[in-house]
Amino acid sequence: MALASVPAVGHELPSLDKELTQRHIDAYSGVRTRSIHTDEAWARRKGFRTTLAQGMMSTAYVSEMMTRFFGAGFVRGGTMSMAFVQPVYAGDRLTVRGVVKELRAEGAGTRVVVDVWCENQHGQKTAVGTASGVLR
Amino acid sequence: MMEFRPLTYDALTIGEEFVSDTMLVTPEDVDTYTYAVGDDHPWFSGPSPFGGAIAHPTFAANQALRLRHSRYVVHAGLHAKMQFEFLEPIRVGMRVRSRGRVIDKYERRGKQYMVTEFVTEDDAGTPLVRGQFTQMLIPA
Repeated sequence: MALASVPAVGHELPSLDKELTQRHIDAYSGVRTRSIHTDEAWARRKGFRTTLAQGMMSTAYVSEMMTRFFGAGFVRGGTMSMAFVQPVYAGDRLTVRGVVKELRAEGAGTRVVVDVWCENQHGQKTAVGTASGVLR
Repeated sequence: MMEFRPLTYDALTIGEEFVSDTMLVTPEDVDTYTYAVGDDHPWFSGPSPFGGAIAHPTFAANQALRLRHSRYVVHAGLHAKMQFEFLEPIRVGMRVRSRGRVIDKYERRGKQYMVTEFVTEDDAGTPLVRGQFTQMLIPA
């Protein structure tokens, strides 16, 4: 549900919890041989302990958090900039979080800039960045 | 007939451009994507403020990410950074394609990276999503 009023700086968006099964990764990436996402032997050969989720799955999670908060003001006019700082493996659990960082007047509305990140079950940040949506 | 070369740092040229095939956005594809990312927002299957059903905002990101596969055999790569501007929703029933251009390549701490800017547009050429991604190249 989109928020009707502009949140204050420091406001925490409702977080999301995500469990990354191999089945979800397969559905996202498409099953391929010689893929670090869907071929465990290939992932090990490339130096990883098992298959990895695509980094872009984390951008989808942030997008979900932002769309649930901003509604149409994220789907049309939203932005996101993320850096992937730790690998996410099949079987990991991520929590997706956001805290309002900045408010900017934009036309008849307000662009709300949010610090966003994903952290794994060990409390390590796996992706960090900012996202924004517009409230009118 | 396309010829595919292994993707290497040396093979990449700054300024080279890629174009994807056109993809029809079907309800099944949207459903598969929402399953993959575990997002059951009702706009993806029913009415939305934009009219009918829309796709997840990041739905076409893989089309953009795979642009380089239209010319190269990619042994493995890791995503380092990603930027999006969501300009217009991707609607079910649209035909979308992505175009991209290599805007930088660099080496840092012994790793090699490529930076690609992209736009995903409908079949009338209306931009839907713009962005940029940075990928680390993993040697074969």
